[in-house]
Amino acid sequence: MFGLIDGNNFYVSCERAFDPTLIGKPVIVLSNNDGCAIARSAEAKALGIKMGEVWHLSKRKPEYRNVIAKSSNYALYGDMSRRVYEVLSESFARVEPYSIDEMFLDLTQFARADYCRRVRERVRRVTKIPTCIGIGTTKTLAKLANKHAKSRPDLGGVSDFSDLDARRQAFKEMPIDEIWGVGGASQLKLNNLGIHTVEQFAALPSASVRKLMTVTGQRTHAELNGVSCMPLTLAPSQRQTVSVTRMFGRPVETWEDMREALAAHASRAAEKCRKHGLAATAMQVFFHTNPHAKEPFFNAQRSFDVEPTNDSFSLIRQAVRAGQSMWKPGLSYAKCGIILLDLHAVGDAPRDLLPTVDPIKSEKLMTALDAVNARFGRGTLRPGGIRPKTPWSTRANNRSPRYTTRFSDLMEVQA
Amino acid sequence: MTARAYKGDETTGFQSPAQDHIEAVPDLAELLELRRPQRYAVRVKGDGLRARGIHGGDILVVNSDAEPQSGKVCVAFLHGDVVLAILTEKDGQWWLEPSNHAPAPVSDETEVWAMIAALVRTDV
Repeated sequence: MFGLIDGNNFYVSCERAFDPTLIGKPVIVLSNNDGCAIARSAEAKALGIKMGEVWHLSKRKPEYRNVIAKSSNYALYGDMSRRVYEVLSESFARVEPYSIDEMFLDLTQFARADYCRRVRERVRRVTKIPTCIGIGTTKTLAKLANKHAKSRPDLGGVSDFSDLDARRQAFKEMPIDEIWGVGGASQLKLNNLGIHTVEQFAALPSASVRKLMTVTGQRTHAELNGVSCMPLTLAPSQRQTVSVTRMFGRPVETWEDMREALAAHASRAAEKCRKHGLAATAMQVFFHTNPHAKEPFFNAQRSFDVEPTNDSFSLIRQAVRAGQSMWKPGLSYAKCGIILLDLHAVGDAPRDLLPTVDPIKSEKLMTALDAVNARFGRGTLRPGGIRPKTPWSTRANNRSPRYTTRFSDLMEVQA
Repeated sequence: MTARAYKGDETTGFQSPAQDHIEAVPDLAELLELRRPQRYAVRVKGDGLRARGIHGGDILVVNSDAEPQSGKVCVAFLHGDVVLAILTEKDGQWWLEPSNHAPAPVSDETEVWAMIAALVRTDV
């Protein structure tokens, strides 16, 4: 039996956990660079703010004048997600962190709705995060039950779809786009055939679902009918690529700034590789102008093989060289990025006969670099030429303190 | 040769008799249970609770999972402020007694956020 717990408006709830002035107000959290709304309190949703709404375009609407817009604070959200996971681990044998705000639970025969309601209260007390829990014999059913619990406050935050009657009743009213994995094109196809409710979709013959929506859709359909196709997975699958791409906080116009940005991203990508014990054998470097600007769009991109490595200096050197070969002056660039491809576990990576980087020296140096940064904070040691705070850095004008991870940022209590 | 971390174990001349007995410095995060999900560190602003031995600038380690106890100090949300208050129970009703506000009954308008578990003072 599966459970799916998720935080209600998770990022907003994290902000409210440490700031009582946000309670009861319309609050939104913005994406990187303070771009779009990515989390909305119930009050903000009631005002009509949409998911992904571009905030700088709509914030001057009179009905939005009382909205509080926070920059995203991922150090805080990550730590709160950890706390939720640890509380859950005390109550369930296995917990799968599926995303920062959603976790699958391994429910035993006895841990059903009442037990889940108590866990939910405990998560609320310990982490201050309100949640909903869906229960089902498959992951897809648990996810759908979770949506059902959200739409029905009278259920006390928990909906149990392992109960066949409850499930059938709910299916009558739920639209198909509530189903995990059904949306966009497949939703349109089904709607065109007159299929609008979960009940109608579940009743289709399996073969016609496969014709319409391939084997993925067939799996979803089977799961809706109680046949479990997706087990609990506890470890993330091995990464195929590592990408570090960012919109600039303001347009970048000089090669010096672009060089620095590429170097910073390559350095961060190398760090991620090392954390997972991987080495890259190919790299992609790109930068482009703003596609929505009046000027013609310019996009530069190059992919190339590199000597298998996760050495920051080597990757920076190659990223910068590729960037320089594509550089076109006189433009306003909006974004750049580095993607490391064809990753192999360090021991399995193909070796060059005549490496230009001494692997032993490199490993020692990188280990030291990572150790210092782990101990004294990310960015304490930076490969040459990267400033700690740059004009092109991500914009975050209204970020709350990192309440739970820095002594300089603790919540203040008045005495 | 770059500097290395010498922990009392690997000497160059006489072998250190301590090498199998090296221990790390005591871990305050461990003592204060800072890695547990219910533990939060907060900073005290103001000297209203000096009588309870709590000074402005102190770091309090609080426990959001502790049972409320009459007479103990808690962190509470009260009228949109984050305050330290003494929690008391009188005739079945719980009250918050902050040092700089009037006492207020615990209700839907307030939140007992956590109970104080430990204190860290770095400017003694």
